Amino acid sequence: MNIHQYIASGIVESYTLGLASPQEAAEFERMLLLHAPLQQALADFQFQLELFAIQNEVPPPPGIKGEIEDRLRNVPAVRPIYRRQGQKGDDERQSDYIKVQSSSTHMWVHRYWRPVFIIIFILSKIFLALSIYFFVQYLHDQRDIQQLQDQLKVVQQQLSIPDHGRQQGHFK
Amino acid sequence: MLFSYILQFVPDKAEAEYLLIDIFSRLTPKLQQACDSSLSIYCWLQVEARKIILEYNRSQGSEGMSVLEPMHVVDGRSKVNYFSLLQDASPEHQWVFRELFINGREKEELARQAGMDLAYIGRLLKESLLIIREKLG
Repeated sequence: MNIHQYIASGIVESYTLGLASPQEAAEFERMLLLHAPLQQALADFQFQLELFAIQNEVPPPPGIKGEIEDRLRNVPAVRPIYRRQGQKGDDERQSDYIKVQSSSTHMWVHRYWRPVFIIIFILSKIFLALSIYFFVQYLHDQRDIQQLQDQLKVVQQQLSIPDHGRQQGHFK
Repeated sequence: MLFSYILQFVPDKAEAEYLLIDIFSRLTPKLQQACDSSLSIYCWLQVEARKIILEYNRSQGSEGMSVLEPMHVVDGRSKVNYFSLLQDASPEHQWVFRELFINGREKEELARQAGMDLAYIGRLLKESLLIIREKLG
């Protein structure tokens, strides 16, 4: 069966409406990864369903939203995060967000952070190069100082020998 | 949107309200599944809501709507459901879709009870779904 016959078999509608058997659903999800026309057919049908739902919406009675929120506050798995209202005492009044556990091992950040990370990376490399350069420079300087100190000692020794001889002659 | 969806299974508004609250409180902790699903959030919500509604209907020993009438009138406009899209289909198509989708029965059970071939039931369902797709498009 080719993919177009598969789409024409009604599997997309069956899967989307929850009428597919577990085996059919598993096969559909496997095929979905491999075939772009199937992904398109699924997206189209879902769009049509959502449009239909909007066009034929029967609004729930007013006040039901509050009842849902009250019930959600008592659901242990839902951790309310309270939005700051800008007034004291209102901080813990209204829950606006629901904690969704992520199963991904990756952390996602906003794209605005990208240049910041690049700049930090470049700066860290520059600082690393500078620290190596100054460390080598420091070693060279230490060696030069040591050499100068050695030379100084030699010169001092050379100077101290005649003085010593002269002092001995003077005492005689 | 979900309230209208519930009303096609449970015509009574008070029961539908109760179910709407129950569905949200039971499905909210599973939102991660919705994000991981191949379906859009709304379609995932419909599929999962239908399971809860069918469970409720079974516990009440009741069946969903079975009449081909617009459900409700809002602002002078008749609101229709999936079942009403089969208005022009044959009674057999309507029956198969109603039993499988609205009443949540299994194809095998339906075929056995009606003394029909399972493949025939499958074909009627497929044709019903294609009629719905055509009407939606």
